[in-house]
Amino acid sequence: MNNFTSALWSEALKMRRSKVPLFTAIGLSMVPLAGGLFMIILKDPEAARSMGLISTKAQIVAGTADWTAFFGLLTQAIAAGGLILFSIITIWVFGREFSDRTVKELLALPTSREIIVTAKFIVIVVWTFAMTAFIFGMGLVVGTLVVIPGWSEELLRTSFINILGAAALTLPLMSFVALLASMGRGYLPPFGWTFFTMALANIAAIMGWGDWFPWAVPSLFSGVAGPQSSQLELHSLIIVILTGIIGLAATFYWWRNADQTR
Amino acid sequence: MNHAIETDQLSKQYGDVRAVDNVDLRVKQGEIYGFLGLNGAGKTTTIRALLGMIRPSGGSVKVLGQTLVQSGRGPWARVGHLVESPSAYPELSVRENLDVARRLHGIQNPKVVDDVIEQLTLTSYADRKAGTLSSGNFQRLGLARALLHRPELLILDEPANGLDPAGLVEIRKLLISLAQENGVTVFMSSHILTEVDRLATRMGIIHHGKLIEELDADQLEKLRAKHLEVRVRDLVSAYAGLQSAGYQPVLKEDMILMEEAHVIEHPDDIARILVNGGTPPTHLAVKQQNLEEHFMQLTGGIK
Repeated sequence: MNNFTSALWSEALKMRRSKVPLFTAIGLSMVPLAGGLFMIILKDPEAARSMGLISTKAQIVAGTADWTAFFGLLTQAIAAGGLILFSIITIWVFGREFSDRTVKELLALPTSREIIVTAKFIVIVVWTFAMTAFIFGMGLVVGTLVVIPGWSEELLRTSFINILGAAALTLPLMSFVALLASMGRGYLPPFGWTFFTMALANIAAIMGWGDWFPWAVPSLFSGVAGPQSSQLELHSLIIVILTGIIGLAATFYWWRNADQTR
Repeated sequence: MNHAIETDQLSKQYGDVRAVDNVDLRVKQGEIYGFLGLNGAGKTTTIRALLGMIRPSGGSVKVLGQTLVQSGRGPWARVGHLVESPSAYPELSVRENLDVARRLHGIQNPKVVDDVIEQLTLTSYADRKAGTLSSGNFQRLGLARALLHRPELLILDEPANGLDPAGLVEIRKLLISLAQENGVTVFMSSHILTEVDRLATRMGIIHHGKLIEELDADQLEKLRAKHLEVRVRDLVSAYAGLQSAGYQPVLKEDMILMEEAHVIEHPDDIARILVNGGTPPTHLAVKQQNLEEHFMQLTGGIK
């Protein structure tokens, strides 16, 4: 076992023993469950009318009761909710080393800090994609139980690609969350950052600049602003990738060079 | 002479605060070096610099012959450390915490984990989650991680923290045996002076970031030496009487101090001489100046 696989094994063990994967899974499972509820309401207009506000909300969010709308809901939830839930994962992976003061055990080792940081990012990537696959799988179960119309294998394939795309566009943004968790030496600064960027993303989207603002791009891709908005242009993709690279480089630089006083 | 630790003009500045100020340390291989200082004196900052955790503002650090030129790079496979309070992943068991450390040290043989668990008498807690350990056992876990890879150099910051009296004795014996039998160099900081006094073969005292004194084995022995304190009403006559009896008394403030081995063993002889000379003692006591007094004199006098 070389240094890299050792670091990866260690990070995976910490993740497996933690309750955070369970909590994030429970949190994310609300998405397909809520989507299923919307579909039940939309399938029965009489019941929807008698339910008042919730049916209005369901119609605004989902529109019609079919698999296309349901998968669209899941994708939007991954894009918008993923920013929070993926942030929680990232904040835990990096911030807990400072909160538990275990970071000092990772600094003077034969395994370099760069390897440890790389292992952490890999665990975050695997974890977030596993969560995305979990939501999609749970969505399939919920959708089947609710008996949503409009199923096709082609729709399944394109929806799965879309939901993975939304997760893939959210992931690069996590590099700044990791940086803030490291620089802020704990949980609060990166949480503040996450909510700050979400608020800015909303403002940018409202003002029509969302395609130029990396934190708004995943939501736009998911079609939250209408079906035509999900056609991302190259500049948006480049901005998200560049943001990810800058965040990664800054995180590596910080771990390598910053004074570690905790 | 090969030095396990060598610093030249090591300094660390935080804003206006000079936490470490031109410290020159030379720790020989195989010695137990006690690094003493009050809270905030600069002990932990020095230790972090020795471990490459902070970049010095000035000067250089050499550990096991390797100059630390870049944070994170160093001879860490040969160095064990415990910095400030111990830490561990609370959701992992003692064994898993040590297994993480083993793998990050690149050690293939998993048996080292069991060995160090046994060495630190953590066997009955091996499968307990670290978060449920008492502070003493948590400290043992920290020490176990420092010893896991059988390092040549141990850098320990307050290793006695949280240990009960039995644990203190046990760790003391362990560190002495590591130094004496395996040639391990131990650099340990502490503010528990008696602990350092019992362990260290050499020590340095840091105050306001400056290394204000270093004591070698002879000087330490001298500090630990006993003396007889004598108080009499007529100090001059008593002093003359003791001199004429062939002793070498020393006048200090309002008392006479005597250090000869015979005097320490038979203070009754001195009492007899003083009584016979017409200057009976009002106070006669065998005392041992300790490191604490010396330390307080040193650090208390410097503002």
